[in-house]
Formats: sequence, C-alpha cells, structure tokens
Amino acid sequence: MASSVAQKRLFHEYKNLSTNPPEGITAGPVSEDDMFYWEALIEGPGGTPFEGGVFAAELKFPKDYPLSPPTMKFVSGGVWHPNVYPNGTVCISILHPPGDDPNHYEHASERWSPIQSVEKILISVMSMLAEPNDESPANVEAAKMWRERRSEYEQKVRDEVRKGLGL
Amino acid sequence: MQDDEPSLNIPSLLTLAVVSFFVLRWFLNRDDSPSSGGRPRGRGNAVDPAQVEQIIQMFPQLSVREIMWDLQRNGGSVAATTERILTGRGLETPPPSFQPQITLPSTSTQSTPTSRTPLVSKSDAQDLISRYNLKGQLATEPGPDAPTSPASASGWSQNKEERQRLLQKRRDDMILAARRKMEQKSQAQPK
Repeated sequence: MASSVAQKRLFHEYKNLSTNPPEGITAGPVSEDDMFYWEALIEGPGGTPFEGGVFAAELKFPKDYPLSPPTMKFVSGGVWHPNVYPNGTVCISILHPPGDDPNHYEHASERWSPIQSVEKILISVMSMLAEPNDESPANVEAAKMWRERRSEYEQKVRDEVRKGLGL
Repeated sequence: MQDDEPSLNIPSLLTLAVVSFFVLRWFLNRDDSPSSGGRPRGRGNAVDPAQVEQIIQMFPQLSVREIMWDLQRNGGSVAATTERILTGRGLETPPPSFQPQITLPSTSTQSTPTSRTPLVSKSDAQDLISRYNLKGQLATEPGPDAPTSPASASGWSQNKEERQRLLQKRRDDMILAARRKMEQKSQAQPK
C-alpha cells in the first residue's frame, strides 16, 4: 500500500520536473515501468571548475519514499569531489534521514524529510559541487587535494569534465 | 374466497422462497464470503500466471497473492488491476483462506532487472557521449538554432512513450549542447 503512495508521489515529481525543469537539471525514471529508479543529469555550476560539464547520476528510491530518502550515485566516471565517494555515491545532508546523524554536525532542517523533493536534492547537489563541505569528506584524497593543492584539484576536475563529454 | 386465498399463496410463497434462495446464494458466492465453498464456480480460481507476471513486472513490490486475488475478483483483467494500483486505491489483502498455487519463478521485491540491464552493462567509466550513444548525433551539425537551448524541449505528454521520448531528447540535447560548447571553448583558447 505504501509503495503506491511512493509511486504516485514520484510520478507527480516527475511531471513537475518535466513541465517546469530547474535550470541545468534533467531527471526522470529510466523507464516508467520502474518508478523507483531514476537517472538525472546535472550541469556543473558556473564559475567553478565543474562549469560546462554535465554529470549523470542514478537515483534509487526506497519503497517507503518519501519517508526515507533516495540514494544518489554519479555514474560514468564519478566526480572528483570531497563529498562524493570514489564509487560515485553522493554524501550530502539532504540525503540523510533525519534520525540518522552519526557526525552530529548537520541541522535537522538540512536533512531528508518528506517535504524535500528530488528537485531540492538535485539543486543541493549542484551547490555542493560549487562549495564542498570539508567537514565530512567522503573522498579523503579529493578533500586533501581541495584543501592543500587547490589549483591541482581544479585542474583535475576540469580534465574529468572534458573526459565526461568525450573530449 | 377464503378457501381460495391460501391455495393461491402457497405456490407463490414457494416461488419467492426458491428465487430468494438462489439470489442469496448468488450474492454469497459473488462476495468474498468463503464460508460455503467460497470459490466462484463459473470462473474457476485459476489466474493466468502470464497476467500476474505482467503486473509483477510493472509493480515488483506488490505481493503475488494480492495480485492474484484482485485478478480473480475482477475476472482476470490486467487493466482493471493496474488501474486500481495506479489510482492509489491499492490492492485488498486477500482473506487467509485464499491460497493460490503460486507458480511464478520468484516473488522477490527486487525491481525488474529488465529495465536497467542496458545501463548496468555499460562500463561506469564511460563518457556521456558513448553512454547515451550520441556519437551519431554529434557528427551531424547542429541546426542554426539548435546549439545552446537545452531547456527548449521541456514538456509533458499524456502518452507514456511520448514522455519517455521527450525526457530522452532533453537529456541528449543537454549533453550535446555541453559538448559543443566545450569544443568551441577549447578551440577559442587552445592550451
């Protein structure tokens, strides 16, 4: 019963994202036969080394969505970023359920709740690309590089962006 | 007169009794009261496994028993069951006495592998152009007004295939626009 709520809600969000897409974001189910598996494209925010890039990510929704948040994972190459695990999984507070805060640095309002949405997640991820959160590095190497050798970090990101576009 | 009335009434009373017996029986059998034999005789209780499979593929999270119960009750209409699920009414929990023989391969809650195989099989390290098979489109020169308007194809359709196509087009346009922009940029300032 709960899963049909999730499906209705996801369909509704899909419709909103299609009729009124936020700047630089495209998202929807890979196939409508499975509303719990989406793919999203995010443009790299301007004025950052990610500028000009497009990043693909998969979103997997739990059956009790929107009570629980989806997981998000960058595919095709991943993203060199302090808050993205080397396998591409995104680590950001909006994707964490409210009751679960092992590090005690996130405010409840930043975390997942049913009033959040796919759109808000993707927008948060976009701003995360622009401003890494140094407090909870998911990719320690990237975080270290970002902190200590910023120009090297930016060059690496730019290279990845070009590679991602097949250049 | 007085002798006549009872002789007229007894047959009609009998008829009424017989008719109401059949009507009641029909109602009892139609509804889900499992008491007296319970099974709808006309339809039999065989649900076409192909139909169940069809619904399971659309809604892998549902239980096979609920699907079979609903199919049996609506006379084996996949459309009616799908409609019921999509409108959010959900499926009824079948009574404990309903024990269909489940012959489906598996009832795992895993989502259908069919829809995602094409993506999983692709290497994770691919660039977006090969991931979405855009090489062909990259070769064709963009139209005079095509280059940088990725949001132009936003839209919604009542038709499922059309929606899928629109989404794919927006995705492809976004990638192609970014790629062309990046190419122009690197031509303008070669490193």
